[in-house]
Amino acid sequence: MGGFWIYGEWGENGFHPVVYELISVARRLAPKLAEKVTVVVLGTDDLREAARELFRYGVEKVLLFIHPELSYFRDDLYAEILAAAIKERDPSVFLFGATAEGQALAPRVAGLLGLGLTAHCIAFEVDDEARLIQIRPSFGENVMAKIVSKTRPQMATVRPGVFPKAEPQASGEGEPEEIRLSEVPKSVLRRRAVYPVPRKESPLSEAKVVVAGGRGLLTKENFEKLHELAKLLSGAVGATRPVCHLGWISEEHMIGVSGETVAPRLYIGFGISGALQHTVGMEGSEVVVAVNTDPEATLMQRADIAVVGDATRILPLLIRRIREIKEGRDGAS
Amino acid sequence: MNLIVCLKPVPEPGTVKVDPETHTLKRASSELIINPPDRFALEMAVELKERYGGKVTALMMGPPNAVPLLKEAYALGADELVLLSDRAFAGSDTLATSYALAKAIQKLSPFDLVLMGKASIDGETAQVGPETGAWLGIPSITQVKTLVRGENDAWVARRIFEDFEEEVEFSPPAVITVEPETNDPRPPSLKRLLAVRNLEPQVLSARQVDCDPTKTGLSGSPTQVLDVFTPTYEGKREVLSGEPEEVVEKLVSILRERGLI
Ligand SMILES: Cc1cc2nc3c(=O)[nH]c(=O)nc-3n(C[C@H](O)[C@H](O)[C@H](O)COP(=O)(O)OP(=O)(O)OC[C@H]3O[C@@H](n4cnc5c(N)ncnc54)[C@H](O)[C@@H]3O)c2cc1C
Ligand SMILES: Nc1ncnc2c1ncn2[C@@H]1O[C@H](COP(=O)(O)O)[C@@H](O)[C@H]1O
Repeated sequence: MGGFWIYGEWGENGFHPVVYELISVARRLAPKLAEKVTVVVLGTDDLREAARELFRYGVEKVLLFIHPELSYFRDDLYAEILAAAIKERDPSVFLFGATAEGQALAPRVAGLLGLGLTAHCIAFEVDDEARLIQIRPSFGENVMAKIVSKTRPQMATVRPGVFPKAEPQASGEGEPEEIRLSEVPKSVLRRRAVYPVPRKESPLSEAKVVVAGGRGLLTKENFEKLHELAKLLSGAVGATRPVCHLGWISEEHMIGVSGETVAPRLYIGFGISGALQHTVGMEGSEVVVAVNTDPEATLMQRADIAVVGDATRILPLLIRRIREIKEGRDGAS
Repeated sequence: MNLIVCLKPVPEPGTVKVDPETHTLKRASSELIINPPDRFALEMAVELKERYGGKVTALMMGPPNAVPLLKEAYALGADELVLLSDRAFAGSDTLATSYALAKAIQKLSPFDLVLMGKASIDGETAQVGPETGAWLGIPSITQVKTLVRGENDAWVARRIFEDFEEEVEFSPPAVITVEPETNDPRPPSLKRLLAVRNLEPQVLSARQVDCDPTKTGLSGSPTQVLDVFTPTYEGKREVLSGEPEEVVEKLVSILRERGLI
């Protein structure tokens, strides 16, 4: 039967945003594997409407497993059901968001069926042998690794925020395939309570402009000028890990594997070398400007506009110039 | 109560090398430390022992030179030390690792809880915990911040999701992964440091824990690293250089042209 499967994680507010990111990945890759973009949803009758909506995003098939016991996520139960579904339908790929739930569920499914699983992928390719090449940063040594899976389905989790979200299309309708389960395995887990924790809404992930600083800014005072620039550009301030650890700014501003993922229209990095652990968090930026004394620095290679120079001098000048423009004191406009 | 804590030996950050043949990480040449997130799992286990009685077994799969790390675990409150060590394990991915750990854990039965770190700093997959739970056929509960005994035989874990925390009740045995920074790992005890000098960990081989050789090591790992590479960029980038005033002027005009400011 096959299929290019995506795990349809849902919560209070409908499907998790990463589901739409996975759909955009699947729409690009599934045709190369001659597979159908399929979202697999576990839940109760309440989900039918939302599941139907998925067709508007270019999904070709929705499998909706329904049972009252599936009203909330339980690792053991959900994994058993997915494992049985895989055995029955033999998908060729199965992707999960690397969310708390996805990271609890995907490895459990992998363990039940003895499958390979690649964590935190940030890119995919399909090779001549129709294998899914899974690309992930290898954290210890600042390189990317290309990984393939000898088992089927080829399973991976995908970092949220890395891929664009699929957009709803003008047309696209369909009916989910409803699988009403008459009985489900007994779960050992019983939910007693949930406590909402307001998500620390990072201004970074939604920002249209991100101005980020690294060790090359040399002092906390220099770094703090970024706030001024961010304000002028209605943007947010980002940072590398070392400067967070130096106490120049709190860790919520960290961009990279250990921090936030950003995808602004404009990213400006001052005194940032461009280690992979940082760049995986800003790969999706539209226009990248780097300011560095070293023209060979990795971020300078990656940049659309590479500014060779001393960031500690360029930053205040840039602020002054942009302020002039914004205040209309600019002769040219 | 029998508690097993899985501690991973990881290279001190910055000291890793990649084997050019197999594309796996070369560990032997680097300085090893206990995976820092696993310290929170160890601390949670030791606190549970102090509260409810029992013993803590530290289990580590790694090379023979990881023994000092197990001794460190003793100083931090572990009671029994087990090193799972065999050439057959070299090159294991997370599935093969969790298989071997599950086999060793079965040998250490009966147990109540297996505690693990959330993720390792070198692999950073957070996969080994749930995979081990699956191999053992017992539940896995991830990102747990507190764990207490409830009524009868039940336990209550508080775990972290993205925008909520859940209180979940379960009956042991189970695999728990512990959220980092949710407790305060104690410093090593001097008394224990002295005591551990005359203590050697129990060393178990693949055969001693009945591992199926086809499921271990590089050949037993379903994921295969094809290649490692450093991303290169050959975009049509624009390079601006000169006096700071000059480059700022150029930069601003480009950004304005593109409607970015
Ligand atoms: C497991 C792990 C996870 C990590 N996670 C993250 C993460 O999430 N995010 C992250 O950012 N890092 C992370 N790191 C750290 C990462 O590897 C790099 O060390 C870090 O990104 C480098 O920060 P930096 O660019 O500020 O500093 P450096 O690498 O020191 O770079 C400073 C740059 O400034 C330039 N420079 C110096 N003086 C000037 C000047 N006057 N003007 C202009 N340029 C100047 C230099 O040429 C250099 O390129 C992680 C590391 C590990 C091992
Ligand atoms: N070789 C190992 N020996 C003991 N425990 C391990 C080993 N590898 C992984 N673990 C455990 O599994 C957790 C998650 O690791 P990972 O899936 O690699 O991120 C770690 O925090 C450890 O508790």
